[in-house]
Amino acid sequence: MSKQPVSRRQFLNYTLMGVGGFMAAGMLMPMVRFAIDPVLAEGAAGEFQTTNQKVDELTSTPVRVDFSYEQQDAWYTSEVTETAWVYKDENGEVVALSPICKHLGCTVNWEGDNHKNQFYCPCHGGLYEKNGNNVPGTPPTAPLDKYPTKVKDGFLQLGKPEPQTIA
Amino acid sequence: MNWNGKDVESYKQQKEYIDTAIMPLAPVSFGAEMKEAASQYEFIQLLTMLLEKQFKGRTLLLPPFSYQSKKREEDKIAALNSWSEELREAEFKHIFYFTSDSGWKLVEDKLDGTLIWVPSVPLEHMEPSYKYSLIEEQAKQFINIIAHKWQQ
Ligand code: FES
Repeated sequence: MSKQPVSRRQFLNYTLMGVGGFMAAGMLMPMVRFAIDPVLAEGAAGEFQTTNQKVDELTSTPVRVDFSYEQQDAWYTSEVTETAWVYKDENGEVVALSPICKHLGCTVNWEGDNHKNQFYCPCHGGLYEKNGNNVPGTPPTAPLDKYPTKVKDGFLQLGKPEPQTIA
Repeated sequence: MNWNGKDVESYKQQKEYIDTAIMPLAPVSFGAEMKEAASQYEFIQLLTMLLEKQFKGRTLLLPPFSYQSKKREEDKIAALNSWSEELREAEFKHIFYFTSDSGWKLVEDKLDGTLIWVPSVPLEHMEPSYKYSLIEEQAKQFINIIAHKWQQ
C-alpha cells in the first residue's frame, strides 16, 4: 500500500484541480469579454422596459403594474415578471415603487389588511407610507425602492429600482 | 426563500421570521402516467415559485418530495411524515404540501401539515404570458389560504 507512486489523495487532488481549472477558465472568459467590450456591459444596465400602463390613466391611487421582459443569465433566457405600484403624486409626477418589502423580501400590497393609505406586508406586518417611507416600529428599516420612470408614446416605462433615502 | 446558498444564508440569520415550509409532492413514473406526472409537476413548480416570490420573507421553498407512483401508500406516508418530523424539529410552524396527485387527498388526515391539492392545467402548448396570468390567478387563492393560516 505504501509503495504507491501516487496516493489516492494526491490523485484526487490532481483531478479536482483539473476540473477547477476548467471552471475558472469558464468564469474568466465572459469577464474578459466584458472588459474588452464595454458596449456589451452597458446593454444590461440602465434599460427601460415598456409597460401596458397608459400614463394619462394614472390617478393618485396606486395601481399594480406588471411587466415582463426577457432576462439572460449564464444558463438560460427566461421571462421575468416584475411588479410596481404606480400613482401620481400631488404635483402630478409619476411615482413607481417596488413592491418588495425591505425587511425580508415579501410582496407588499396597497391598503392590504385594511391599512388605509399605506402599503402592507403580509409576512410580518411591515407598513409603508404612500411615498414608500417605512413606518417606524414595524420590521422594515428602509423605504421601498423606487423605479426610474419614463414615458414613451403615452405608455409608462420603468428602469431598475433604486433605493430611496428617507426624505 | 429558495433552496440556494444565498437565501439559506438569510434564513440562518433570520430564522425567527421564516417559520413556513413549502414542499411540492411530485410523483414519478415511466408508464402510462408519465406525461401527466411531468406536466403536473411543471404546473406545481411554477405555482410554488410564484408563492415563494410573494412570501419570500417568511417561507422556505424546499426541493420537491419525489416518489415512485407505484410505491405503497403507507410507505409514501411514512416517508413524508419523516420529513414533517424533521421540519418541526427545525422549528417550522407551518408546513404546506402542494401536489396534483389526488392520492394524497384520501390520506390527508394522516399527514402533519396542510395539504393543498391543485388540479393541474396542461401548460405545454400555452403562450408564456397567458401561462403566467393563469398561474397567477390560481396563486391568488393560495395566497389567501397561507395568509389566513398565519393569522390563526
Ligand atoms: S418581509 Fe415584510 S415585514 Fe417581514
